[in-house]
Amino acid sequence: MSTADNESRQAQTALGTLRFLLTCWKVNLASAMEYRLSFFLLAGMMFINNFMWLFFWSLFFHRFPVVNGWSLSDVMMLWAVGAGGFGWANMMFGNFHRIAPIVSGGQLDVYLSQPKPVLLHVLASRMSVTAAGDFLFGLAVYAWVGEHTLSGGLRFAAGLLISGLIFMGVMIIAGSFAFFFGNSEGIASQVFNSFVALSTYPADIFRSVAKVLLFTLVPAGFISYLPIGLLRDYNSGFVWQAAGMTVFLLAAGSLLFRAGLKRYTSGNAIAMRG
Amino acid sequence: MIDRKMQSVLSLKSKKAGAVATITLRQQLAYKTDFIMRSTFLLLILFVFVQLWSSAYEGDRTRIIDGYTLKQIIWYLVFTEAITMGVPSLCSLIENEVKNGDIAIRLIRPISYVGYHYAAYLAEAVFRFFIHLAVGSIIAWTFVGPPSFGWGWAGLFSLTLGAISIAFLLNMVVALCAFWVEETRGMEFVLHKLQFTVGGMLLPLDLMPEWLQRICSWLPFQAMLYFPARTAVNYGSASLLQQAAIQAGWIAVLAVCTVMMYRKGVAKLHVNGG
Repeated sequence: MSTADNESRQAQTALGTLRFLLTCWKVNLASAMEYRLSFFLLAGMMFINNFMWLFFWSLFFHRFPVVNGWSLSDVMMLWAVGAGGFGWANMMFGNFHRIAPIVSGGQLDVYLSQPKPVLLHVLASRMSVTAAGDFLFGLAVYAWVGEHTLSGGLRFAAGLLISGLIFMGVMIIAGSFAFFFGNSEGIASQVFNSFVALSTYPADIFRSVAKVLLFTLVPAGFISYLPIGLLRDYNSGFVWQAAGMTVFLLAAGSLLFRAGLKRYTSGNAIAMRG
Repeated sequence: MIDRKMQSVLSLKSKKAGAVATITLRQQLAYKTDFIMRSTFLLLILFVFVQLWSSAYEGDRTRIIDGYTLKQIIWYLVFTEAITMGVPSLCSLIENEVKNGDIAIRLIRPISYVGYHYAAYLAEAVFRFFIHLAVGSIIAWTFVGPPSFGWGWAGLFSLTLGAISIAFLLNMVVALCAFWVEETRGMEFVLHKLQFTVGGMLLPLDLMPEWLQRICSWLPFQAMLYFPARTAVNYGSASLLQQAAIQAGWIAVLAVCTVMMYRKGVAKLHVNGG
């Protein structure tokens, strides 16, 4: 087979996967819209929920206007990037933090039996309804305190992309442990909660070992430093590191998931996708 | 004769509540791993708070801000977190009971529906409160020193029972909405965030702007978290009796709301099958 044929086949596969993803998102949205009132109620509540956090921070910064170089607007942008990134990832790939229960519950069979990339299929087969609230919240806060220039908009979009992909990478790794350690739902959910919590506090409040850990073992610092390193005082070194960490986490997650699949044994559970 | 009859009825009711509490405690002890997992999350959150507040106080342990030293703030947060993480989630429980029809089994039992949940809630909350208090103390003791609060401890324990009762009633009012709406999770989110902010979980009310303090004094949330934690670290700054009276007042108001909602809700309930 010639190289041209090979390339054409690869392009067709990529196009097919893209079409498949679009169909998944369309079906997920239609499914969420079936319970329209519930959808808007949950998304709205998540929006308010996030604003309550901003309210807390406004009270905090009212008493302490600048903390280690961070002001209220920086923390607002931290929430915009964090919640917005988490929001889009959870809307389009809503199973990224549910891999552990899916694996340990033996529910992977339904994905394995279909001729599509398993991890991608698992991730895209659910849409979180509350995530729409998170995403819109991110956009609203950007509209409120963000930098409204082309460069500012692009940097914010890059922040959303990095933050969402880091959330996904970390949770794919944590969820894939279920292949090796059995019922690790508790650990995965603990990793999820801890990571979300760490990524919503200013990176500069941490000192010494804690700060090193935040940029290595628990890479939440690459999200929580985005308002400074990417949005306020653009630091190309930090941005490249954040991009590198994103790629590393996604690659490590995919490899771990693939390695785990070889160990997966069916739960013989009869499952149907609604 | 009537008095004796009343006494025997009360004794029977308290025996039933005691039995429910004992069963709940046994259930809690059966899930030790889950418990340890949740406790580690508290360690992380308190560590983050220590970092945040140390930055706000610029590491100065002698500085007093609105009546609080760094040590008092950290221990204040340990107490509010111990109560917050101690109280179980009621909304999802009731929502599921209503949705899947399990409520029918509860209703035919010879114990009040609300009373049953109160007994179980109280037992679980008290047990978890002490465990979280012990876990949180590890962090606070390590970073800011031992809790030398004298009578403050008596104040904390005497106001915690009222605080848990208020938490139960507030959550019950939201949970009972499950009789009318399909999802109560969003409302629960907002309730929790109100506790976090205007309840003084993350920030003592004394550090908030004057206008907000005035509003908070008319809301039930301060009686749930701020009263016990403030009394523990600043005993004598407010009358213990007055705070207990405010708690009793809110318990009475919320209990009336709960009973009214329950009566209205249960009257329109239809459970099919079984």
